[in-house]
Amino acid sequence: MDKPLNILVVDDTEPNLALISAFISKLGHTTILARNGQEAVDLYRDAAPDMVLMDVMMPVMDGYQATAEIRKLAGSKWVPVIFLSAKAQDSDLVRGLQVGGDDYLTKPINLPILQAKIKSMQRIAGMQRDIAEKAEQLALYHAENEREQNLAKHLLERIIRANKPNDPMVERLVLPATRFSGDVIATEFTPNNIMHVILADSAGHGLSAALNVLPVVEVFYGMTKKGYSLATIVRELNSKIKQLMPTERFVAAVLAAINFSERTIEIWNGGMPTAYFVDDHGEIMREWQAAHPPMGIMSNADFLSKTETFHWAEPGRLFLYSDGLIEAENEGGERFGTDRLLEALKEKCDQGQFWYLVAAANKFMGLDNATDDISIAAIHCPMAPVGEVIVQSEPPSTTPVEPSESRLAVKLSPPELKSFDVLPWLINWLNQLFLSQRQYQEIFLILSELYNNALDHGVLALDSCLKHQEDGFGRYLDMREDRLARLQHGAIEIELERVQENQVPYLKLRIVDSGKGFAADSMLNMDISSSIRPAGRGIVLVKTLCTELKYQGCGNEVIALYRLQ
Amino acid sequence: MQITVEKNGEIGRLTLSGRFDFNTHREFRNACDETLQTPEIKEIEVNFSRVDYLDSSALGMLLLLREKAQSANLKVSLTNCTGLVQQVLDVANFQRLFSIS
Repeated sequence: MDKPLNILVVDDTEPNLALISAFISKLGHTTILARNGQEAVDLYRDAAPDMVLMDVMMPVMDGYQATAEIRKLAGSKWVPVIFLSAKAQDSDLVRGLQVGGDDYLTKPINLPILQAKIKSMQRIAGMQRDIAEKAEQLALYHAENEREQNLAKHLLERIIRANKPNDPMVERLVLPATRFSGDVIATEFTPNNIMHVILADSAGHGLSAALNVLPVVEVFYGMTKKGYSLATIVRELNSKIKQLMPTERFVAAVLAAINFSERTIEIWNGGMPTAYFVDDHGEIMREWQAAHPPMGIMSNADFLSKTETFHWAEPGRLFLYSDGLIEAENEGGERFGTDRLLEALKEKCDQGQFWYLVAAANKFMGLDNATDDISIAAIHCPMAPVGEVIVQSEPPSTTPVEPSESRLAVKLSPPELKSFDVLPWLINWLNQLFLSQRQYQEIFLILSELYNNALDHGVLALDSCLKHQEDGFGRYLDMREDRLARLQHGAIEIELERVQENQVPYLKLRIVDSGKGFAADSMLNMDISSSIRPAGRGIVLVKTLCTELKYQGCGNEVIALYRLQ
Repeated sequence: MQITVEKNGEIGRLTLSGRFDFNTHREFRNACDETLQTPEIKEIEVNFSRVDYLDSSALGMLLLLREKAQSANLKVSLTNCTGLVQQVLDVANFQRLFSIS
């Protein structure tokens, strides 16, 4: 049996009150009695009954008014009110329902019908109560969810370092369609001062998409700081995403490595819209279409990490963006599209191409209303190299131990020279010597400079003079790529040794290549400030960092001595 | 989005029409399963002639179909890809994964 009800019975005639309350008691419910409308309202306020049986014609306050008052008191809580009246006109019934009654029975009361009505009202009230409870639970759940989402947002922003102070060379904008963004832009420098940029767009929107970009940024930051090449990083990202995510999830991304002193941009574009290099006059100098599927789809064996490199001869900007920008629709259902994007980029605008584009997009569709995540980045590429940037990496986690003499020697043959990212690997070994942040960066720079010289000018026999001719850099890069791909013979030997001389620890670095050697003396003696030639500049910089730097043999062997204290 | 399934000997053809996006998830999966479970079918054609839009979750569904088809030794091809559909598949370099015409 249902829970007993407490029923407020309102009637100005005692016999009616007695009859009805006796009948209700017999049904197992309790009653409270009121003799007019005012009493009914007062009792309702004090006793909060479950149901009201209301007479219409009464002194002081009639049943219609009392019902209206009770409805006001009850607020959002629903309490069934059944009118019991001698007035039997249709218009009376209509008025009763209008003021808030739920049913209308005419006197004399038919008791079995009253019993059925009470039962049915009880059932409806029970349903109402369930709904109210559910609504309350839902509100609690909603509040809890809000709290958790805010926490998740806070954590995600920390992990992807969304609030990291902006690099002055980078302008960026990420507009999430929901609270969480599946788009991310991150930048970080390698130890030898090459800027890596990633703009990634994870399939879908919201929290699940945002979660997908977490491993991406972690790997990107970590490997860049260790000095890995773009090709090695995208390969690792692809394999990580494939391993972590279900088949139908993937991450489209464009990655760039920008070498400000050589003025080169290396790009890997997997499933992102075309990236552009636009000079300061608004001319598009180079475009990179998606050359690969998004990350997380191809197996390791089928994955291609091939990048495309461009040398800028005029200052300009590299523009990267997600498809949310070109696919965004205005009110008329028209897309922003590539044509409008290109128009905006061509606009001559001294310092403002980026914001000009943002303003154009905003004017077209109102960026706040976007249904997909939108991200745009512009990287400023000037003619003069940007100043040294201090790489922020974590200090060694263990206490330094003074190592004794140690030595590492590796020999790289064509397969390694083609694909093995040897520098971070060597640096990793060097870290056993507990280098300071400054030493780490300097040694990385010396190693990469000498290694690249040995590869380019030694093994691949490329003439660095080519770089300085009109359009020479592009041809230089093409030749480099071509010769490396076809390389069959040749080797580079690298020897790193920690030595002591007069109680002072040094790192001795020896690199021998299989090439014919070159006249390094003239370069070594160049004045760093007068040198504008990028190739020469590198070697002169190395010389200033080393205690000693000498070329031996026919110029195919270089020995550098770097002081560790 | 509407999907019609035709079985013609060794070829199962799924013809899609309208917007191919996340809301199509269940329907597309059912159509795929129905085709994959027909033993005589050796090749699945997804016909895009009447599709006017597809998003990244549609690409994800195609990847799922490819995976299931591969494990059943079936070929999947995407046919009648034009306009926007072709652009989206081009950017995603799906020609590396499917035969596309």
